[in-house]
Amino acid sequence: MSDFSRRQFLQTVGAAAAAVPALEVMGGGAALARDANALTIAYNVDLPSWDPTSGPSAVNPTIQSIYKSVFGQFIDQNPDLSFRPGLITKWGWNDDKSKIAMTVREGAFWHDGTPVTPEDVVWSLERAADPKGGNPIQFVWSKIGNFKISGQEVTADVKSYEPALFKWMAFLTGFVLPKKAYEKAGAQGFEKQPIGSGPYQVEEFQRGAFVRLKAFPKWWGGKPAFENVVFKFVTDPTSRVAEVESGSSDLTLNVPYEEYDRLRVKPGFAGSARPITDIGMLFVTNRPPMLNRDLRLALHHAIDKKAIVDKLLRGYGVPIDTLEAPEYEAFDPTIKVGYDPAKAKALMAKAGYSPQHPVSFTIQTTRGYMPKDFEMIQAIAGMWQEIGANANIEVYEIAKHFELRAEHKLAPLAFYDWGNAIGDPSTSTGFAMFSPSPHSAWKSPKLDAMIGPLWGMKDEAKRIAGYKAVDRYIAENGLVIPLLQYAQPILYRQGLTVVPHAAGCILPQTVGRA
Amino acid sequence: MPLAYLVRRLAMAIPTLFGVAIVDFVLLRVVPGNPIAMMIPPGASAADIARLRAFYGLDQPIPVQFWRWLEALLHGNLGVSIDLRRGVLGLVMSRLPATLELALLAMVLAVALGIALGVGAIYWQGRWPEAVVDGIAGLGMAIPDFLWGLLLVLLLGVLLPILPISGRIDPMLSTHFVTPFYLAESLARGEFSLVGSLLAHMALPAVALALPLTAVIARILKSALVEAMSQDYILMARVKGLGRARIIWTEAFRNALVPTVTLSGVQFTFLVGGTVLIERIFSYPGIGNMAIDAVIGRDLPLIQGVVMTFAVLFILINLLIDMTYVLLNPRVRHG
Amino acid sequence: MDETAWRRSLGNPRVLFGLAVLALLALAALGAPLIAPQNPLHQDLLASFAPPFWHAGVVPGHLLGTDDLGRDTLSRLIYGARIALTVAVISATAAGLIGTLLGLAAGYAGGLPDAIVSRLVDVWMAFPPVLLSIVLVAVIGAGLEAVILAIVIVDWTRFCRIVRAEVLVQREQDYVAAAVAIGLGPWRVALQEILRNLLPTLIVLFTLEMGIAITVEAILSFVGLSIASGAPSWGGMIAEGRLYIHQAWWLMTLPVGCIIVSVLGLNALGDGLRQTLDPLVRR
Repeated sequence: MSDFSRRQFLQTVGAAAAAVPALEVMGGGAALARDANALTIAYNVDLPSWDPTSGPSAVNPTIQSIYKSVFGQFIDQNPDLSFRPGLITKWGWNDDKSKIAMTVREGAFWHDGTPVTPEDVVWSLERAADPKGGNPIQFVWSKIGNFKISGQEVTADVKSYEPALFKWMAFLTGFVLPKKAYEKAGAQGFEKQPIGSGPYQVEEFQRGAFVRLKAFPKWWGGKPAFENVVFKFVTDPTSRVAEVESGSSDLTLNVPYEEYDRLRVKPGFAGSARPITDIGMLFVTNRPPMLNRDLRLALHHAIDKKAIVDKLLRGYGVPIDTLEAPEYEAFDPTIKVGYDPAKAKALMAKAGYSPQHPVSFTIQTTRGYMPKDFEMIQAIAGMWQEIGANANIEVYEIAKHFELRAEHKLAPLAFYDWGNAIGDPSTSTGFAMFSPSPHSAWKSPKLDAMIGPLWGMKDEAKRIAGYKAVDRYIAENGLVIPLLQYAQPILYRQGLTVVPHAAGCILPQTVGRA
Repeated sequence: MPLAYLVRRLAMAIPTLFGVAIVDFVLLRVVPGNPIAMMIPPGASAADIARLRAFYGLDQPIPVQFWRWLEALLHGNLGVSIDLRRGVLGLVMSRLPATLELALLAMVLAVALGIALGVGAIYWQGRWPEAVVDGIAGLGMAIPDFLWGLLLVLLLGVLLPILPISGRIDPMLSTHFVTPFYLAESLARGEFSLVGSLLAHMALPAVALALPLTAVIARILKSALVEAMSQDYILMARVKGLGRARIIWTEAFRNALVPTVTLSGVQFTFLVGGTVLIERIFSYPGIGNMAIDAVIGRDLPLIQGVVMTFAVLFILINLLIDMTYVLLNPRVRHG
Repeated sequence: MDETAWRRSLGNPRVLFGLAVLALLALAALGAPLIAPQNPLHQDLLASFAPPFWHAGVVPGHLLGTDDLGRDTLSRLIYGARIALTVAVISATAAGLIGTLLGLAAGYAGGLPDAIVSRLVDVWMAFPPVLLSIVLVAVIGAGLEAVILAIVIVDWTRFCRIVRAEVLVQREQDYVAAAVAIGLGPWRVALQEILRNLLPTLIVLFTLEMGIAITVEAILSFVGLSIASGAPSWGGMIAEGRLYIHQAWWLMTLPVGCIIVSVLGLNALGDGLRQTLDPLVRR
């Protein structure tokens, strides 16, 4: 108790006082909660693995919040997606972009108490670049090598230029792991006792149930508001709502918008629903009948995206016409497609279709993978019916989508959610539209000729302009149908302050008490 | 005699297990599906994909894959989960105890409730309690466990939130369990706050699982009791002037037990199978919840491992039921 | 199974209740386009979450209100009966055919066929039915056909086991010996003579299997694997309505009620028929 300062004490009392109305509202249920020093988050996915740098879980965007609580990234990201120092405090290219230099933070520690060293940073980068290491982003990390350490500075040779290299350092698998502790424990041992350098250390992990974290006193970023944080894995949205409503959990995310609207205004609760880096879009595959440009454009013009956002998503979401959200670097507000049913009908007539002579095709979608995905496709199919297009809806699981996309066997149209937390055009338009990428659906030499040179373009301004031109070409030819940027509903009890992160992360170190 | 029977039954289980292994494999490998697609990162090349396929042995011809799988299986190696990147056997073993404790609790509940209802119906035969029991049994059998689960979440988790509706134990309790059998361990150590938290979390899923079995037991026990009560020795007992309650418990019940155990045995395997959905509804960290995640994520080795585990479990349960029957049987002749 | 047995059945209250439920189901299924007040697929985003008749503010034409896409709940329930009955009848028939044929062959022929079928049944019984059907549908792909196929693949053993056991009893009966004595071939004996005596058992099993099939469809929808493309299945309606249990609890509860009534009716029918028709299955 001795280190329990007066200030903390006052904070605790304040939180308890703030929680009183909520307790009254919820009656008996609140008895299930609540330790004023603990934050319980009803989280939507289970944590498969504690290694944030290998295997499929490393590239699963939905679990990055937990990784970011425990591990440190090379570079951090602000809630508005801008970058800030993480375990490296300074970074950059030399003039001809043949070398990089990074300064490793002083005064950062591992959870076992030993300091974070430049050796750890180099080891992590070399491990990430090793094809046998199982890092799914290995193809990025392998573009640098021949590391040299001098004091806190690390330099490396650029083997091939990757414009988004430093952005990747704040993104998937961009984590620093402890060289000594990992080599001592081995992969299996590390799973049992993960050691990071983040704000929280793992206190107890029960697979499939919860992970309980404890604030790490030596974290370089200062003491977080909550001493203990629990991520409770509740995959079912209805149960997550009940968790917060009954007071068992303090905070939850990704609940149905209807529930969000209902609880948000209830006394004792608060919420936020800000746009995040998830783009709901329709892949167009280059196969009949989509080879007809007029048809593609007609389908795009016939979709009333605003109505979908307003009616179906209850206003939570931003209609979008390219794969770049407004927060992204290559966003160009002048590229517009627009809802225009008359133009859509005219284009359909030009393509030889009408409600009397409709065109039929299959559209694939997930159901319940993203909010209202299936309902949205149903609504769109209804809009298309008006202009003479019969869309036959086929539902599949997301795993099936990945399978079909990798084999270039998607239906003519297929719904997907494209996440891009670093906002770089190469990780949205680039990978989604470049034909050698296993993730593209529209494969054409024309597009490849436009995107190809942008991959290694060293002039950043020219690269961004290049991607804007690609986006314009795509919009003018209807090669993909972007629908909307999702908003992420976060519900929490009153008395908390939550900073919504545009990448969709829930970072417990940023949750405070009001 | 029971020992010889046990050995014979165990021997019979071996070809069944082999058959299960074949079906399990064929089901998931011959049918088209590409688990690797899930883990292809943005920007991966064809070579990267081939490397991943080779790593999981998916580049081999099907018979070779089967042989390798079977060989590993015989060594107790169920492969490595693609999604969780840990040995399937270890994963199954860490999650199975939670499921077993839930299923056992549900069974205890079902047996206790079922016997109470069945005996009650006979005790008050011809009066309104019998009709109530019949009604409950009818409903219990018509409503599958997962609908019970949904209704319980609605009633006791949302409208009147008095019981937790997700998880296995309060995450804020410090536990330090050494075994994965939390309930058994905390009972053995006498830590009743842990027992309380565990039972509170298990209450709703266990009731949902138990209700259909309760109905079956009540109904079978009731009809077996009706039959037993009409037997000569019961008439004898009545003539001797024994009370109705005493006759039911001491004479009829014993004889009604054998058909009840035999007929509700199958239902117990259904209860264990039902954990798959119930664990999903209540976010309970058992093997069933993991199974659905595995199906959704196309984690082939994990699906195969879980299906195999359930099969072994079912075979064991059936064996147990048979043994119970053999043990109970001599007592039947006493009547 | 003579005429008096049938007449006795019609006097049984369970049978009557079951038949009434079945008739209602059949009426809704066959007459859906005539009875349903609206097109079950028609959405109207402006009229979503209309309340049912017992609430204030009911929208004319939507007696039981509308769902999140503004589709008419009553119409969807009525068309749901069509899907439920389709799944129930087709899968119970197919599972019954396969199970009965294999059971007949095993029980009557004995020897190797019996050993093979019995082993197969043993293997099948070792799989948890729910997990097996979930895995099957995930593997075959979503859709009505996949659901039916999964139910048939999982549930044929229910028929096979009981038919085999009954045949073992029946083939020792005098009428079989007599049929063989007058020179009827084995298949003729099995299919004509024995099957006729098994008919009551099969009818009972068939009704029970229909109830099981309706439940399994709901389970698969709940896991998100059943009928696609917005078709109004009760299971799908439960899965969708579940998301809104706080503001519109009836969206989930109404289809749950439909399933419960259907299964209660089919169970009652099976039980009643078992009591009145069938001295063999009766225990």
